[in-house]
Amino acid sequence: MSKFRVVHYINQFYAGIGGEEFADHKPEVREGVVGPGMALAGAFGDKAEIISTVVCGDSFFNENVAEAKKTILDMVKKANPDIFIAGPAFNAGRYGVACGTICEAVKEELNIPVITGMFEENPGTDMFKDKMYIVATKPSAAGMRDAIPVIAALALKLAGKEKIGASVEEGYLPNNTRVNFFEKERGSRRAVDMLIKKMAGKPFVTEYPMPDFDRVEPNPAVNDFKSITVALVTSGGIVPKGNPDHIESSSASKYGEYDITGVNDLTAETYETAHGGYDPVYANADADRVLPVDVMRDFEREGIIGKLHNKFYTTVGNGTSTKSSKQFAAEYAQKLKNDNVQAVILTST
Amino acid sequence: MKLEVGYIQIRDISLADESRIDDGVLYINTKELEELALEDEHLEAVSFDVARPGESIRITPVKDVIEPRAKVEGPGDVFPGVVTKMSTVGSGKTHVLRGAAVVTVGKIVGFQEGIIDMTGLGAEYTPFSATNNLVVNFTPKEGLTAHEYEAAIRKAGLKIAYAVGKLGVSHKPDEIKVYEFPSIIEATKLYPDLPRVGYVLMLQSQGLLHDTYVYGVDMKQSLTTMLSPTEIMDGAILSGNCVSACDKNTTYHHQNNPVIEDLFEEHGKTLNFVALIITNENVYLADKIRSSDWTAKLVNYLDLDGVIISQEGFGNPDTDLIMNCKKIEETGTHTVIITDEYAGRDGTSQSLADADPSADALVTAGNANQVVTLPKLDRVIGTLDYTDKIAGGYAGSLADDGTITVEIQAITGSTNELGFSRLSAR
Amino acid sequence: MDIVVTNNPLVKAQYEDRYTVNFIETDLLGILTAVRNLIHKGHQLLTHPLMGSVKPNESPYKSVVISKITESTNAQSVTVIEESIQAAKKFSPRDIPEQCLNDLQVVDLSLISSAIDYNK
Repeated sequence: MSKFRVVHYINQFYAGIGGEEFADHKPEVREGVVGPGMALAGAFGDKAEIISTVVCGDSFFNENVAEAKKTILDMVKKANPDIFIAGPAFNAGRYGVACGTICEAVKEELNIPVITGMFEENPGTDMFKDKMYIVATKPSAAGMRDAIPVIAALALKLAGKEKIGASVEEGYLPNNTRVNFFEKERGSRRAVDMLIKKMAGKPFVTEYPMPDFDRVEPNPAVNDFKSITVALVTSGGIVPKGNPDHIESSSASKYGEYDITGVNDLTAETYETAHGGYDPVYANADADRVLPVDVMRDFEREGIIGKLHNKFYTTVGNGTSTKSSKQFAAEYAQKLKNDNVQAVILTST
Repeated sequence: MKLEVGYIQIRDISLADESRIDDGVLYINTKELEELALEDEHLEAVSFDVARPGESIRITPVKDVIEPRAKVEGPGDVFPGVVTKMSTVGSGKTHVLRGAAVVTVGKIVGFQEGIIDMTGLGAEYTPFSATNNLVVNFTPKEGLTAHEYEAAIRKAGLKIAYAVGKLGVSHKPDEIKVYEFPSIIEATKLYPDLPRVGYVLMLQSQGLLHDTYVYGVDMKQSLTTMLSPTEIMDGAILSGNCVSACDKNTTYHHQNNPVIEDLFEEHGKTLNFVALIITNENVYLADKIRSSDWTAKLVNYLDLDGVIISQEGFGNPDTDLIMNCKKIEETGTHTVIITDEYAGRDGTSQSLADADPSADALVTAGNANQVVTLPKLDRVIGTLDYTDKIAGGYAGSLADDGTITVEIQAITGSTNELGFSRLSAR
Repeated sequence: MDIVVTNNPLVKAQYEDRYTVNFIETDLLGILTAVRNLIHKGHQLLTHPLMGSVKPNESPYKSVVISKITESTNAQSVTVIEESIQAAKKFSPRDIPEQCLNDLQVVDLSLISSAIDYNK
């Protein structure tokens, strides 16, 4: 059997070019093995061969995504591998996002199987774990020795179009796709063992994490709007034209607070959406469609509500983690309370 | 209660003139069993087959699987209140024909019952490919209602299993296990330093084809209650559940409840197994609330440190499971729940119909929607007409070459929620 | 005193004298949707919409009992019906042979009467 052809993607650091100060290194392709590719080649033995390695600086990739993607896709296409491997990126955030982004592109556009490796808390994990196999690694490069054989074994299976087992068997991060397999112990025995650990306060791993829902009991209904201040809050990304605080179009890292004193209507000239997850045409034409300032002003005039709060809070819900959302909300909820706001209308998209 | 269980290893079944056990071979005179079965005026005819591990045989549609057992020393005898007279069982001595099973087959309604393959891929998913099976196929009298027919087959199967079990009464067991279940006060005195553990066994109880009987009582009419695990070993709990082959508990599963076995295994070592609570899974939401209130209440009265909760069936029992889990966790008692998943054929759908953050320790018996292609086997006992309609099958599942493509939910016991098997998912 | 929402003719025949039977000629999802709409009008869900282990794509028949009295929308009812609709949609539709239809009506009737008759 002939060897599988592999293209390996790494950043400037692992290529030995240098650290952060060289992060704007443009994509280049080198023949054969570079850096961690050595260990991969060792793990492959005679089953696969790294024919070339693509090197790209993390800053360059993340700041010039379209250009980087195109250049690298051309390089990969030319090499025509059986499998594309990126990283592992461990807990390096921008490297992780680059690995995920380029893997997704190679998989979608070139139809070549891909695999990468990351620490579970790498931001790239949440973004890409449902789209590709990401092998679970330790946070730092000290985990290279453990990660390489797992990546190599799974890469060979993917290249050979073999059936891929469950995450615990193969070592990839759980990806919201449930796969059956036979455990060593029967279910009842595993339940007893899990209970013993749980009762003793020892760590245990559930076999099906509950869907991540943070249900909040709604407050009692507001009976009298006539005398209270109502605020608008949105995850629909409505911001003053030009997005002055640069709220990201996805995976927002911040929220905005904007004064609407005297604003009666959001127009195409004054407001827009920063949201990258829906067609912005209608929101940009009339942002009241997402953040209904106009209707609230009507209510105010008609005496249906006491007053519309003079500030609104906004962020982009698109891909933003529950953890960040919670943190944003905790902050501005406190501000709203301090401003004596008694009701909030939350709008999404 | 103290029960001594003697296991007589059966390595083969053979149809013969005289019923007996000789050198591990179970010989069956079917004439006697036929007469026994036809005592029920609802049954027109009955036929017998043997299916051994590794044989190219497919059994379908399976209604129930029962392990032949009988008591050597009472009080009472197995299947009390149904096959034998009402008496509290669970103490004395019981003999088990290990490695043998009575499998009842019959079309009660035109869908649903399961598949047991004795060889091939399907055999890996069912525990009953490893037993020597006496397959009993019933034909009902004309005009019988589904209720009458289900009851007739259920009882006839149990009678046959009891009759076969009695053949082992005078035999010396190959292995003996003793199970002791003292009062909760005594148990606590015995192991004062070990955590006190209970088992909440949820029983399917929703109506026709979905019922479970405890000492002959339809569980849907019972409040949550308690018994000794040894009573279950003597057949106090019987399956009338014919639906969802993969995750229904057959009578065999009840007789050999693996949670009970594994809790006994750890009893006195890492934990103190002190309570078995049984509860139902009814259709009315108010019933669900009442029954789960009661499980939590009993767990609280008994001051347990931890419980295992097992489920039976698909869909709305998820609600009972989560209610039980949540309310028991609220009493400060740790829980581990056992369930199975319906995550869709591609494994990407939400697995459970209900969920709660308190269910943070879950053991899964696998995704019942997984698709498998089962090979053509030489013999079919029962009928294949209904394979398309069996849970998990779909139009065209029976191919021209005799293979059938089904979801594993069609296979008896494949994702059993007592944790009887090793199948799981991640 | 309660309302039975059903597409099962056997359930209609059995209970229309004694109960309010809201018979709708529709499929299983149609019944669940109708029930959801009624819940939002303030009826309370009394039986679990996924009663029985008969999978949602194995039977076209469905019967659900809801309260006659309307109150403010019951949050638990909303949650249960929404989760049930989601669960039902997970199953790919398939053909159900004609000769099974009567059996399926019997099973649905039995399930719902086990609820109605024991809770009289």
